[in-house]
Formats: sequence, structure tokens, C-alpha cells
Amino acid sequence: MSNITDTDRYNRLKKTSTIHYNMEVNQVLSEVIDDFPDKLTGMEYFYNKFRPLEEGKSLYPKDKKLIASMCIHVPIEIIYALDATPVRICSGAYSADAAGSDFLPAKICPMVKSTLGAIYLDMLPGNANPDLVINPTTCDQKKKIGEMEEEIGKEFYVLEVPPSKDSEEARQYWQRSVKKMVKKLEKVTGNRLRRRKLKKSIKMVSMAQAEFRRFMRLRKNAPVIFGKDAQLITNAYFFDDIDNWTINLKILNDELEERIKQEVLVVGPRAPRVLLTGSPSIFPNMRTPILVEKLGGIVVYEEFCSSSRMLSDTVAVDEWFLYDMVPAVADRYLKPSTCPNFTPNDDRIRKILLAMKDYKVDGVVYQTFTGCQLYDMESRKIGQELEKAGYPVLNVELDYNPKDSGQLTTRLEAFMESIKDNKRKK
Amino acid sequence: MNLINKNMQKIKIKKYINNSNVSRFRFWIQLLSFFLFVYGGYFFIEIGSRLPIFSCPYVEGSPGGCYLIGVQHELHSTWATIFSPRGISILKSLGIFLIFFLFLNKAWCGFVCPLGTLQDWITRLRKMLGFSFVRYGEMSFKRLKSIKYILLFLLILIPLAIKNSFFGLPFLPEGMHTPFCQICPARIILPLFTGDTSQIFVDFTDPATIAMTSLGLIIAALFLVGSFVKKRFFCFFCPMSALQFLFSKIGILRMVKDGDKCTRCGNCSRVCDIGITEIADDVLSKNIVKDDCMMCFKCVEACPEEDALKVKVVNFDIFSATEEGFFKRYGETDDPEHLEKHGLLNSNKEKDE
Repeated sequence: MSNITDTDRYNRLKKTSTIHYNMEVNQVLSEVIDDFPDKLTGMEYFYNKFRPLEEGKSLYPKDKKLIASMCIHVPIEIIYALDATPVRICSGAYSADAAGSDFLPAKICPMVKSTLGAIYLDMLPGNANPDLVINPTTCDQKKKIGEMEEEIGKEFYVLEVPPSKDSEEARQYWQRSVKKMVKKLEKVTGNRLRRRKLKKSIKMVSMAQAEFRRFMRLRKNAPVIFGKDAQLITNAYFFDDIDNWTINLKILNDELEERIKQEVLVVGPRAPRVLLTGSPSIFPNMRTPILVEKLGGIVVYEEFCSSSRMLSDTVAVDEWFLYDMVPAVADRYLKPSTCPNFTPNDDRIRKILLAMKDYKVDGVVYQTFTGCQLYDMESRKIGQELEKAGYPVLNVELDYNPKDSGQLTTRLEAFMESIKDNKRKK
Repeated sequence: MNLINKNMQKIKIKKYINNSNVSRFRFWIQLLSFFLFVYGGYFFIEIGSRLPIFSCPYVEGSPGGCYLIGVQHELHSTWATIFSPRGISILKSLGIFLIFFLFLNKAWCGFVCPLGTLQDWITRLRKMLGFSFVRYGEMSFKRLKSIKYILLFLLILIPLAIKNSFFGLPFLPEGMHTPFCQICPARIILPLFTGDTSQIFVDFTDPATIAMTSLGLIIAALFLVGSFVKKRFFCFFCPMSALQFLFSKIGILRMVKDGDKCTRCGNCSRVCDIGITEIADDVLSKNIVKDDCMMCFKCVEACPEEDALKVKVVNFDIFSATEEGFFKRYGETDDPEHLEKHGLLNSNKEKDE
């Protein structure tokens, strides 16, 4: 009897959460699209990627295994090379938060709660039903989720990530860890990792990176696109077919280039240029960029693992054989990473400081999710360094609950005003 | 108007160079240099005997000589001669060596040295056979890198100790003259390219020559095996490289790094044949030529960050790391199916037409 009620409860929870999720998605999409007058034709493709799918439909090729990852530290080149489809399932949905809370203590980061809830309720992007979830041991909260695999009903694979990245030992450890993952994936997919396939997939990801870097160059040159749109583009990379993504970004880039030529810009020269960093904004949790831009600013750079960090770092292979390609792919996920899970993490400070200069940033909004220790702890040092360099920083703590937006709005308003004042004085 | 055109031209040339494949260029330069320094003598070419590379006089067709052989001969003298007016010739040849050296800096190793080229060819052979390479661990790298300085020190000290007594110690045997040449793999291996096998021998004149020439044979064998499994195996121990590095700072050809632009992704050290890690990890030094560097510029090719690494002649940039260049060299697919999907197949065709 109790079993029946359990499934009943589950089904009811799933039903209500899905309804809430669809409402949430539609609401955020309308905010992103309709509240801003100027529309880029090239964005249409990316907006459509986020519209809720009908039940039973899936975005992914049916004949391929679907491998989910919970973090950017999973080498997707290897997944592609094994003829499987990667999907990143970090969730930004408040509607999945509640379901995840049932499994976890109260003071846990909402992204972890929401991701767990989304896996449990099968509310993953594009109706994904992954054959395996790869869970890298980055932050403590995320890595402990894997222990609940039985309860959640999905198979998890723990990908061991070292706690530091600078030492030779860490690098060796990581490379071995990736090789072990290759073995596991070979078993799951039933395919062997082949030289030609891996080379092809490295180039495939590389082409996406080249297009993304071009996109960032355009953003650097002129304010032609809002950060909220940029965020959707990178978020779509989580689950979109990579070639289609690249091709459509290319179309958008061409449009942006044309706009720069004709000087059609989305904000005036006085608009505060903002850099976002900290806990990653993931659709539909788009509050910070939307607010910044509704208040007259523009987000020009996101130092998030859901954006620039995911697509900037490249693979350089010296000898195109598996013995060199696999370590080369592994290296790209470790050495340039600026994830706060690594200590020391001076590279993150250097990266932000460089972006401040390159993108002519006026101020930084540092966002921390309630319960995310690592980003919270790093905010102090980064704040100090930025202030030393003469940049204003606003630290905001937020939850996925959209109800507590009031305070965030007031604080952002004041911050934006002070930047505008400074700019006027100059 | 003319000025703008000129500037545009400059930018175009710069872009062309930054997008180019330096390694391919280097391959051809190396091939030419190899022929020049192994067979040039047959064509009556004479380059001088104070060269900063292993242009070995034991090779019949060699158009010049390696400075190390010169320095060993010159120091094979008593203190009295060295400090007499005749000693000036020692300075003079050092001067000639430096003039040669400063032009290319350590690029002599990466582009010109025939022994270096030979190792790159052995690496090519290994790649063709599909064998993996070996890298030193961090600790062994640190420990082994001092060997070249020890060799340099010995090749200076031994000739002096043959003619002079240090601290009342007995003179070293005459059989140890030009000690480095006796153990140098270039002496044994390079003559083989002119069909000369006469250097594969043990000199039975006295115990010292027996020891030294046998050691030479062992090192030559190690050279062949070593450079098959490890890229630029010998260069890591080369006393010429140590000597060059002492003067590298004043070289005309330079390589500089802008640490602020570096993400420490490690692409550069990954592709480094020697396995230098500072190139990626050091974000403070501007001059990034380390003692083991041979200035092959593979690191600059593999760097995707605009201007993070630059090759300069005095203060003019001649080759810089660029995003576009990186993706041209490392990111572009040659898979026709993939190209077609991205619509690149057609656009390339259009361009050709």
C-alpha cells in the first residue's frame, strides 16, 4: 500500500513541479524577450531552445547514449568521441528546488538542491533522460549528491577532481582520473575511443570555442548585445547540438558585426558596463543580469562556469594520437580552470582583472548563492583586489526564490546609480 | 592615403605571419641548415670555427667548427700562456662566438643545430610508428637540468687541469684533451651522414683515451635510444645550451611573455619538446627564455591568448600569439563531412574560384 502512495506522491509532485517549471520558464523568457525592445534576429534560435517541450518529446538523438554532467569539469570531447551526447544538467529552476530540498539539509546551495530535484523529477533540459550522470568532485555539496543515486534512481559516476591544480601531482591524478572515466564511458556506450573520432570531436569543440571567442571580441568592441542574451547563448550550449549551436552563433555574430558597422547599439556610451562573477546564473535563474540591464546597465562579461569559463579554454595537441590527445583534453579542464574549488585560485583574480581592463568594465556584481561557501569565501579576496585596482564591487547573496527580489533590486539600483554618477564626473 | 594603405599592408603581413605555421617553416630551415652544416664543406663553404652549434669538424663536409672544440683547445694551455698576450685570442674567439650567437639567440638550437635537427627527425620517425613519448617528472627534471652546467664546467676545467696543477694535485693525463668532443654524440653520429664510420672506435692509446672514447660510444647509443623516446633528449644535457644561456639575455632575438594575459592553461608547456613548465606557470617574468629553451616557438603557436607570448627582434614584434592563429593551427577541422555541415566547404570553394 505504502508503495502506491509513494508513487502517487511522486507523480503529484512531478505534475505540480512541471506546471510550475513551465510557468517559470515562460515568465523568464517573456522578461528576457519582451521587456527589451530591441530584438536580434539571430537570437530567435537560442530563445526557442528554452521553450518547454511537450511531454514525450526529446531534444536528443535517440540512437545515442545520453551522458549528463553536473559541472564543466567533465571533458565533453571524450563523450562526443564515443558517439554519445553530453548534456549539462546544472539547474537554475526554482520549481525544482523544493523537490531537492527533501533530500538535503536546509543550508545548501539552491543550485545543488534544484539540480537534484530536477534529476529526481525528470525535469532536465530538453526532456533529457541520461544513461549516466557524471559527477565531478568539485564542490562538497555537489559531490555528495551522488551518494543518493539509489533514492534518485539514476546511475552516478564519480569523476575525481583534485583539490588543487598547480602541482604536478594534481595534474597526474587528474589525467588518470580522466583515463578511468574513458574506460567507464566505453563500457556504458559500448564504443571504443578511437584516434580519429577524438580528433574530430576536439576540432568540433574547438570550432565552437573559436566562434564563442569571436562573440566575446564583438562584445568587447561595442555594446551590441545584452548580457541576458549572451547568458542564454552559453546556457543553450549545455544541451544544444554543438554544431547547430556553432552555426547559429556564427549567424548571430555576423548580424552583430553588421550592427557594429551601422552603429546600432543596445545602450548608450554612458551605460554602466558590468562584470558578473560568482555563483553561476543558469536559466531560468536570470535575475541578476535582467535586473542590471533593466536598470540601464549592460553586462559585458560573465566570469561564470556557465559562460566564459566553459568555452574559452582550448586544447592544444602536439601529437595527434590517443596517448597525447587524452591528456591534452584533460589538461584543458584543469589547468586554466578558475573554479573556487581549487586552492590557491589566484588565476581567477588575474582573469577578472584582465577582463576589467579589456572589456572596460565600470563595476563588478559578485553573486553568491545562499549556502555556497566557496564563492562566498573568495568574494572577500576578490573584492579587496578589485577595490585596490579602483573598481567598485557589489556583493549580493541570492536564493532561487524570486520573492526576495526586492532587496536585490534596491541594492543594485543604488550600485548602478553610483556608477553612473562616477561616469558623469569623469 | 598612401600611409593608410601602407598601414593596412603592414597589418595584413602581420596577420599572415601570426596565422602561419612556424613549425613547418622551421622544418625546412632545419633541413637546409642540416645540409649546410654537414655537406657545406664539399661546396667550399666556410663559416668559421666559433659557431654556437654542433657544426662538427670531425664531419668531412663541415663548413665550420663548433665553439666548444675551440674553447677546449684554447684552454689546453698553462696559466702563463693564458695570461700572456696570446690569451687575447681566447677572448677574441669568445667574441666571435657571441656575435654569431646574439643574432639568433637560442634559436640556433631550434632552427640550425644539426644534432638538434637529427633528434627532431628521430621524433618524426617515432610518431610515424605511433609510439608514445616519455616526459621527465617534475623532480627528475629539476635534478637533471644541472648536468649541462656540470659538463660545461668540466669541459673548461679538464683542459686546464691537463696543463696546470690545481691545489698541487697531479696533472690530468694528456689523453683527456678535448674531453667533451670525446664523449660528444655529434662526433660519432654526424660523420655517418657522409658515409664516414671511422669515429666508431675505441682509442687504445692509453687508459684515459680508452675510457673517454668508450664513454663516447655509450653516449652515442644513449643518444639514439633517448631521442627516440624523449623529444630533444640530448639538448637537455648539452653544455652548448648552458653556455648560450649565460648570454641569452643580451640576444637580439627575444621571446617575451605578458603574464597578465596568461590563463596558465598550459598549452605552451604541453607542446614544449623539452617540457619546460615555467613558460606556462611563470606569470611574472617578461623574458621567458629559460636555459633549456631552444626557441622553436611552438609555445607561441599553441597560445590562444592575444599577445600573451611574443617573439621580438630587439623591440619589433615579429611573431605573436593570436586567437585566430591558434585556431588556424589547432582548431580547424579537415573532416569534409564536418566542413560541409558548417558551410565551410562551399565558402572555401568559392574563394578558390
